[in-house]
Amino acid sequence: MQHEPYDIGPARPRLDALAKACGAELFSADSYPPGLLWAGARRCGVPHGILRGVDAAAARALPGVHAVLTREDVPGSNRQGIVHKDMPVLCGTRVRHCGDPVALVVAESRDILRQALALVRVDIEPLPVLADIDAALAPDAPLIHEADGSNVLLAAEIRKGDAEEALAQCDVVLEETFFTPSQAHAFLETENGLACLDEDGVLHLTVSTQAPFRDRFEIGHALGLAPWKIRVHSPFLGGGFGGKDGATVQCLLALAALRLPGRTIKMWWDREESFLAGYKRHAARMHYRLGAMHDGTLKSVVCRLWYDSGAYAHLGGEIMELGMEHAAGPYRVEHMDCRGLCVYTNNPVAGAFRGFGVAQVSLAFEGMMDRLAGRLGRDPLDLRRQNALRRGDRNCAGVTLTSSVGLDECLRRVRDHELWTTRHTWKKAAPPFTRRGVGIAAVFNGMGYGRGLADNAIAKIELTPDGRFVIYSGVPDMGQGNASTFAQIAGEMLCQDAGRLEVVQPDTERAHPSGSASAGRTTYTFGQALIKACELMTAKLVRRAALALMIDEPGGITLVPGAVRHLPTGKELPLAAMGAMLPRDDRVCVAEYLMPVSREVPDTGRDFPLGFPHLIFPFAAHLVRVEVDELTGLVRVCDYLAATDGGRVLNPQNFHQQIEGAVAQGLGFALMEGFGTENARITTPDLSTYLIPTSLDFPDTQSVAVETLEHSGPFGMKGVGEVGLNGPLPAVASALSDALGARIDRAPVTPAMILELLASRGAQA
Amino acid sequence: MIIRFCINGRDTELDVRGDERAVDILRERLGLTGTKEGCGTGECGACAILVDGRARLSCLTLAAQLDGRDLTTIEGLGSPEAPHPLQQSFAERGAVQCGFCTPGMVVAAADLLARDPHPGREAIREALSGNLCRCTGYSRILDAVHKVDER
Amino acid sequence: MSAYLPGTLTDLWDLLEEADTAVMAGGTDLLVRRRAGKCAGRICCLERIPELRGVQEEEGVLEIGATTTLTDLLESATVAARLPMLHQAVRQLGSPLVRNQATLGGNMCTASPAGDTLPALYALGAQAVLLSRRTERVLDVAEFIAGPGRTALEPGEILARVRIPLPEPNAVQHFEKVGRRRALAISVASLAAVLRLDGDVVRDIRLAFGSVAPTVLRCAEAEAWLTDRTLTADNLRHAAGLVRSAVLPIDDVRATADYRRQVAGNLLLRLETYRP
Repeated sequence: MQHEPYDIGPARPRLDALAKACGAELFSADSYPPGLLWAGARRCGVPHGILRGVDAAAARALPGVHAVLTREDVPGSNRQGIVHKDMPVLCGTRVRHCGDPVALVVAESRDILRQALALVRVDIEPLPVLADIDAALAPDAPLIHEADGSNVLLAAEIRKGDAEEALAQCDVVLEETFFTPSQAHAFLETENGLACLDEDGVLHLTVSTQAPFRDRFEIGHALGLAPWKIRVHSPFLGGGFGGKDGATVQCLLALAALRLPGRTIKMWWDREESFLAGYKRHAARMHYRLGAMHDGTLKSVVCRLWYDSGAYAHLGGEIMELGMEHAAGPYRVEHMDCRGLCVYTNNPVAGAFRGFGVAQVSLAFEGMMDRLAGRLGRDPLDLRRQNALRRGDRNCAGVTLTSSVGLDECLRRVRDHELWTTRHTWKKAAPPFTRRGVGIAAVFNGMGYGRGLADNAIAKIELTPDGRFVIYSGVPDMGQGNASTFAQIAGEMLCQDAGRLEVVQPDTERAHPSGSASAGRTTYTFGQALIKACELMTAKLVRRAALALMIDEPGGITLVPGAVRHLPTGKELPLAAMGAMLPRDDRVCVAEYLMPVSREVPDTGRDFPLGFPHLIFPFAAHLVRVEVDELTGLVRVCDYLAATDGGRVLNPQNFHQQIEGAVAQGLGFALMEGFGTENARITTPDLSTYLIPTSLDFPDTQSVAVETLEHSGPFGMKGVGEVGLNGPLPAVASALSDALGARIDRAPVTPAMILELLASRGAQA
Repeated sequence: MIIRFCINGRDTELDVRGDERAVDILRERLGLTGTKEGCGTGECGACAILVDGRARLSCLTLAAQLDGRDLTTIEGLGSPEAPHPLQQSFAERGAVQCGFCTPGMVVAAADLLARDPHPGREAIREALSGNLCRCTGYSRILDAVHKVDER
Repeated sequence: MSAYLPGTLTDLWDLLEEADTAVMAGGTDLLVRRRAGKCAGRICCLERIPELRGVQEEEGVLEIGATTTLTDLLESATVAARLPMLHQAVRQLGSPLVRNQATLGGNMCTASPAGDTLPALYALGAQAVLLSRRTERVLDVAEFIAGPGRTALEPGEILARVRIPLPEPNAVQHFEKVGRRRALAISVASLAAVLRLDGDVVRDIRLAFGSVAPTVLRCAEAEAWLTDRTLTADNLRHAAGLVRSAVLPIDDVRATADYRRQVAGNLLLRLETYRP
């Protein structure tokens, strides 16, 4: 067992799991170097206003306070943002949401920090609050970012064919407006990090971040530093889900460290600050018209999307782009006219979140499919199969699907599953005061950055002098397990057991830039680069072994666990000997990979500077069975099935973990998690008011892999981190519609909504 | 005030302030960072430790309350070199993803198994219902506890 | 800030003479409020005073020490057998981790309209035993709870025990809590009901509703209507109407007042399942 290669295919335990289960893995939050100082931000607490002044005198006078910094202390542009740089490190004249920071305090201890933060006096003249999209779009609305001349961050369209004309030709046209809420990532490890400026002027950061390489540029831009004077290390993250993609603590920490050279500064947002200042999923409104023929053929989709970006851009335009690109669902639709507006408001800042813009439209396009099935009297699963995208089809954005498409097979797995075939008898057996319903959803989620931004990764692998392999990961592991998968890829390629494989978490000084942990790209892009690096390593070791074994040519030399073996003679050279023999430069291999992009240039989507279109899509079909209590409106999820096409599965354990976790998060989105605001002030400030699922809330998800072959991916895989989140909301909406005989158009579905729907259908019941 | 307690088998004495929390002295003064903090209000369970054999929220426990008690933290249950069966089972059965909730989860499970060595799946669900996990969807965690004896 | 852990009542009384001293049982409410800056001052923990803890049955009355943890209550065979309603209520309170610390007395003293044990205590006719250095007095739970977050406790006085008369074994005990999830949920509405049935005729009924008024609400109108009537859907529906008129719910982040009002009545309809 010990020498069994840690290879691709079997369900292998993760290499990091045991250390984590023993509390031995050090997250960035777990670092308390001696002499550290605590930093914290004074948040303005007002949704919109003119910042008249910040009085820090009392805070500065408090013993144990090392610095209180305000806008004047910020060098550089004072602007953060991944693409669109509009978010101040510290606000100077204007505050745009309750979590905006107006002062940064550094203190000896957390207690003193807390006291000092309370002593910072802020003078804000309130401005009218733009609490939702309509308020922000009103003609007389004040501008949240005056320089932009509008509260619209991005207005864009994707058009294919002539959708209005086609709608007029359709036998059936349906219309509906859908709403999805803001959602908090609620990772268990809240945003945190440490920073220290060393005597050589190099700024060292350890941060719970999904994008250490990009962070350097973001900090550099905001604070006027050369990015190469910034070193970022990202240990294992205690969850990310998109919420640690982009600046959280980074620039504030860096600012504090610049002011206090030689001191290590720690910042760790508590749960309330995380909810107040952290990123959220965009709330959305989606107006749809769907046209189809009597035989069920989809013809045309006309839709208008509004995404609430909150106070700043983050990746709002890119996120809405993904929603638009998926707006008509994973179906063949000849004509689409999709227009989107991503709008600034005074709500908490929206940003990346698993299901990146697609989780929203999934409710809408699947809601339309259910309505169409109802109108045509069709089996909803059959109607989806009839229209499902297949390889070679053009999707609704006009891109030909040249890569793997397993949607129909996903739907077939659901159709043949007992949970579907027995649905009628199950529904009839509902106990008193209970209604039952069964729902399905078909979803997809574009993988990678899309066109316009190189989705590139550079892998480095080193043979150590003691004969092990170290993989320098360039993409953080926020819990999705890519670090261990990298070891598995190397184990497969180099035929080595787990004991000889080590993955070093991203450190900008030791690894190569490989992009962010996001977009379902980590294993795909870095994995391909790593395969190439391993090929280089194998070729190198074979040739060096030939030299050492005095064999005239390297044919017949192969790697085995712990050694290189010459097959014709049976001679072996231990890896430890090779490691000891070779100079370091010769023990390292580096290779890179660039994700392919669509070669088609659709004559649309020109408003998107980057991220349009995508080429590779994982697909899924989900089924849920629910019970509704007629007296309370409470919903019980009884059974859940997810059939997912993620290409070939490299490690079934990791694969199913991704699906199960995404389904839980998606069920939370469907049934309990509305991140609440009232007039742009948060009404769900903590984990007692913002509820996420517990172990008692949902059943075990039955996850089924539909293994297509993604030719472009490492060992045939494609990324499944996101697609699983898109299914639960539309599936639950579908099941509730089935149970209640009334359609669901918004989330989260509350018990009160259920009782209202029951009352409105009371006469028929 | 001076408090004395036994932690992970070791007698310990500390001078603490009345308002210090147990979680802070564990993490910051004793270097036992396996105990995590995810909310500070008892909602997430990441900070669970065993006090006299029973799982407690160390974020809602004053350091003073530890005086005279016997404590076990996640580090005291086992180490990567000599793991507790639950830690081994969590690792092998895919119950660990980001791993930030895992220590509290293992501690709560250890409390359960001490009272009910062969709990059913529903009893495990209930016993772990105060430990939030955002990555897994829980089912592999339930498996890890349920099948802790099967190797 | 100082924290004290007296081991005897005598030590406790001395400590309570100092102003600005908060009494802490399990700490699951108090320490959350402190974190939010809602209270400060010294803390006096009751956990080490043996007289305040434990469950004892005497002459048809169960006496529960105020600092008995909710987990201890769940593990009490008497509570499980004779007070299934309280058992269910406790089982749905917070989470196992919370219940390992939280106490029955603490839940009462927090006096939240959503306190999970309170409807059961009201329906069971529980009494609170209050103790100070010099006095002992006994109040009905409805007198003990003075309003949201307020009790009848005087300075220097603590809640020592709770007395619960055990209902006759054949009485129906029903508890239902509506929360937004199945654990760690603050109640949105709840009903605790104790009733005696003679065939399908209701002979004696007590109904206590949680989270639908500033304090737990006993609905005398609905009780009177149902007494000596059959446990039919029609009768329950009528009584549910009386409940909806009696409740005084509020809107908050968890639910609207309208929802609470409607559900308070609906919860009564579930009693039909006890009809023989």
